[in-house]
Amino acid sequence: MGGRTIGILDVFGPVMIGPSSSHTAGVARIAFLARKIFPYPLDRALVLFYGSLARTYRGHGSDKAAVAGLLGILPDDERLGYALELAAREGLDVEIKPEYDGPERYHPNTAVIELWSGDKHARIRGASIGGGEIRLQSVNGFEADLDGSLEALLVLHRDEVGVIAIVSHILAANRFNIASVASHRKDKGDEALMVVEVDGVVPTSIVAQIRDLPSVSEVVYVPSIHA
Amino acid sequence: MNWKFTTARELLERVGESALTGGSAAAGRAEGAALGEESLPAWLLARDSFYSGKTEAALRSEIAHRIKVTRASLDRGVAQAQMSYSGMTKGGAVTLAASTSWPVEDRFFRLALTYALAINEVNACGGRIIAFPTAGSCGIVPGVLWAWRDARERALGPDHPRFQDAFIVASAVGILIASRATLSGAAGGCQAECGAAGAMAAAGLSTLLGEGPEASFDAAALSLKNSLGLACDPVAGLVEVPCAKRNAFLAANAITAVSFARAGVRSVIPFDEVVGAMKAIGDAMPQALRESAEGGLAKTATGLSYWDKIR
Repeated sequence: MGGRTIGILDVFGPVMIGPSSSHTAGVARIAFLARKIFPYPLDRALVLFYGSLARTYRGHGSDKAAVAGLLGILPDDERLGYALELAAREGLDVEIKPEYDGPERYHPNTAVIELWSGDKHARIRGASIGGGEIRLQSVNGFEADLDGSLEALLVLHRDEVGVIAIVSHILAANRFNIASVASHRKDKGDEALMVVEVDGVVPTSIVAQIRDLPSVSEVVYVPSIHA
Repeated sequence: MNWKFTTARELLERVGESALTGGSAAAGRAEGAALGEESLPAWLLARDSFYSGKTEAALRSEIAHRIKVTRASLDRGVAQAQMSYSGMTKGGAVTLAASTSWPVEDRFFRLALTYALAINEVNACGGRIIAFPTAGSCGIVPGVLWAWRDARERALGPDHPRFQDAFIVASAVGILIASRATLSGAAGGCQAECGAAGAMAAAGLSTLLGEGPEASFDAAALSLKNSLGLACDPVAGLVEVPCAKRNAFLAANAITAVSFARAGVRSVIPFDEVVGAMKAIGDAMPQALRESAEGGLAKTATGLSYWDKIR
């Protein structure tokens, strides 16, 4: 986690459609962020619910919440209540699947979102940790720790000397304060995913500058959900 | 300025340090507070302002907006019988409001129970609410605070600083519980949701009645102690039974705690240690009692029958 501090409006909030902050609001936020990370036209989506979510998702409308998030609907929007109908109308194919036996290390409220577009695929795992607060813990097999409170850049890069320093330098040169930076690689010299949380909205020109770096293959910009 | 704290003790130290260095904000002194005395709500607002980059005025305005949302949920739950899909929520708040059989005369107390239930019934039926700290416990703090306003001090409202401060100090108790334990029923049982909200309401009501932070945290400790070990065993996995009615019961818990603290009957175990105990108890709770709908009330014969009704 980055410079994340719980404030008054985190506890006194969010404004949301009932009935459950962790099973409804949190799930909508996880799916919303997953869609921001994978912004391509969707062929289909699979939502896996683990732990308490697997057992109670129907009564809490977690299925509606997940579909709402994928449609870009946030927890305070009354359209969440009829998200399944909206998805059907838009031709979005979402499969919801409860997984009763999840890995021990998963948080008791975990959702895994898999998205497909052409030959592209994403697998994002998020935990709903209470009161609507969330953590994205894994993105395409890379460890991550993202809560949606700040603007964030996901930088897919080769594990080489100096990449983190160059990205930090570009942000610093443009007066962006980095709240946190973490990079996790699959193996030495292999691909790595750098998650950078920043204070303030980063313009597309700076995102492009980072994308153009020789050892960077992809940059995804994830906006804050607390705006 | 050091904005970090994990215990009430540390929080009050930070606020004290801030007072010595002239306060966190120019307008940060409570009404009537002496020079060199920083108010807890003002310090918390200055902290949120630092982290969010928003002005304190903008934060106050957002808090006022959220207080108005709690009122809208409350009014809806009292005016229209909330009927849920499962059939378990059947307009209890409307029935309670119309009852002539109360054994308790006090209007504040009766409204607190009615309002807490009303807000949570709106949540159970998929209406708009504010998670405070969670959706399943969202009726407790606003139920108690709005009841005080309606029964005793009609001049209070969303834009009134003391009314806002009550919501802010209630939030501070939530921040402390989230920092050292959890606000998730799946992680710590219902003590982490309705239990936490009861403690928050106790601190909020104390603040509304003009008590300082020490007495407010003491009231929070008294309320939280009496929710330790509370199981999260929702029938059919829904946020309805026992959640909605429990909002009213925890409102009563909070009022009892404030009555004790104001009388000077203090908690033997300080707030920070009660939070530590809450964390240990939550960790020791079996998964069946942590929002899995696999134990307790969810496994009773009647509880089990509701699974079929929602399929």
